[in-house]
Amino acid sequence: MYRWDFAPVLANADLLLQGLVNTLAVTGTALAFGIPLGLALALARLSGRRLLAWPAGFVIEFFRTTPPLVQLFWFFFALPVLIRVEMTPFMASALTFSIQSSAFFAEVFRGGIVSVERGQWEASRALGMTPSQSMRRIILPQAVKRMIPAFMERAIELMKTTTLVAIVSYADLLYQANEIAQKTFRPLEVFTVVAGIYFVVILMISLLARRLERRLAVSGESTVH
Amino acid sequence: MGYQWNFAPVFEHADALLYGAVGTLRIFAICLVLGLSFGLVVGLMRYSRRRLLNWPATAFVEFFRNTPVLVQILWFYFALPMLVPFEISPLMAAALGISLNSAAFSAEIFRGGIQSIEPGQWEASRALGMTGLQAMRRIILPQAIRRMLPALTNRAIEIFKMSTLASAVAYVELLQQGKLIASLNFNPIEVYTVIALAFFLFLYPLVRATYALERQMARSDSGGD
Repeated sequence: MYRWDFAPVLANADLLLQGLVNTLAVTGTALAFGIPLGLALALARLSGRRLLAWPAGFVIEFFRTTPPLVQLFWFFFALPVLIRVEMTPFMASALTFSIQSSAFFAEVFRGGIVSVERGQWEASRALGMTPSQSMRRIILPQAVKRMIPAFMERAIELMKTTTLVAIVSYADLLYQANEIAQKTFRPLEVFTVVAGIYFVVILMISLLARRLERRLAVSGESTVH
Repeated sequence: MGYQWNFAPVFEHADALLYGAVGTLRIFAICLVLGLSFGLVVGLMRYSRRRLLNWPATAFVEFFRNTPVLVQILWFYFALPMLVPFEISPLMAAALGISLNSAAFSAEIFRGGIQSIEPGQWEASRALGMTGLQAMRRIILPQAIRRMLPALTNRAIEIFKMSTLASAVAYVELLQQGKLIASLNFNPIEVYTVIALAFFLFLYPLVRATYALERQMARSDSGGD
């Protein structure tokens, strides 16, 4: 019978905390760049101009269709050869997940924008607004409110996907777990605790998202049925 | 600029890449079959009103949906061997992690699909003298699966992308082989570009097929009901 001993894990709690902070840092950075980039990609794809729509569509489809780990390897191992820059694990991770998540956010934005009724466009045109004015003042504010549930789901997916950065030795929570497991010879306890930490953090965000969803559903603004 | 692209060394190792691709397809097939069939069982348990079935299924779904799949794989690879008296191979660990993760996600698809079938269908099959199990198998599931098809093909694409994570425990698949070739020939850029393209070219037709299925569903739903 295996005897569980969590003391070595607790002794390294500071490393785990540091790892969690790094996980949140890379998630936050990817969100900060991924959301505006996603909006830009969505607008380009919806612009109706082939010169904008086609490349945006390609970026979106490519990054949604290829495995994120392959993308991360490309940005970490291949890109530095091509442009001759020193690539830190954090830079490669932030770059990969900003672009990868922007492809998914673009589809969330597009879905939200498309879901706004035609009449809203016609009404804003009738008031004399240019298309970019109506997008900014009329369409986007309504679309964004509807997108919140899908958007939260994507953010949670992103946080789970950031565990891949451990493979290029960025010191996120999973990487720290691996280090501690090797140091203490207690992989069972370490990985169980770390799985538990991810579960608690992500479940809290999910529950928050669900509550928000329900409130939006009550006010009739959600796209989730 | 001025990097000289040279794909020749990659194609010299085409046999190694092919061997990796077979590994990718093998783990994909295993996880697809295990993930979806176990997902159906869990989905039915989630649908059941019996607490003894419903409660464990809910805990399973919540746990596996709210933890990163890479953490699950590493748990099965490094932590589980402490508890069981046999060796855990990389394939076993990766297949367990990806299958259980996919089961949790597909369980929700199955449950949603079954719930979407009108109560009248249940009543009609009961009126014909079918037991609950018969009604589920003959009447409800065939209709539900048709509706769930786009979501299920999406899941399959996700499983395919997830299979790259098996390289983290050194299971021989496409990305793992790529890593070896890149470190032998110092040509990460060509190798990872070829691998990214291979995934894209393989998966994109599936993605398009899913879009087409979704459109067809939307049309038949609005026309048929």
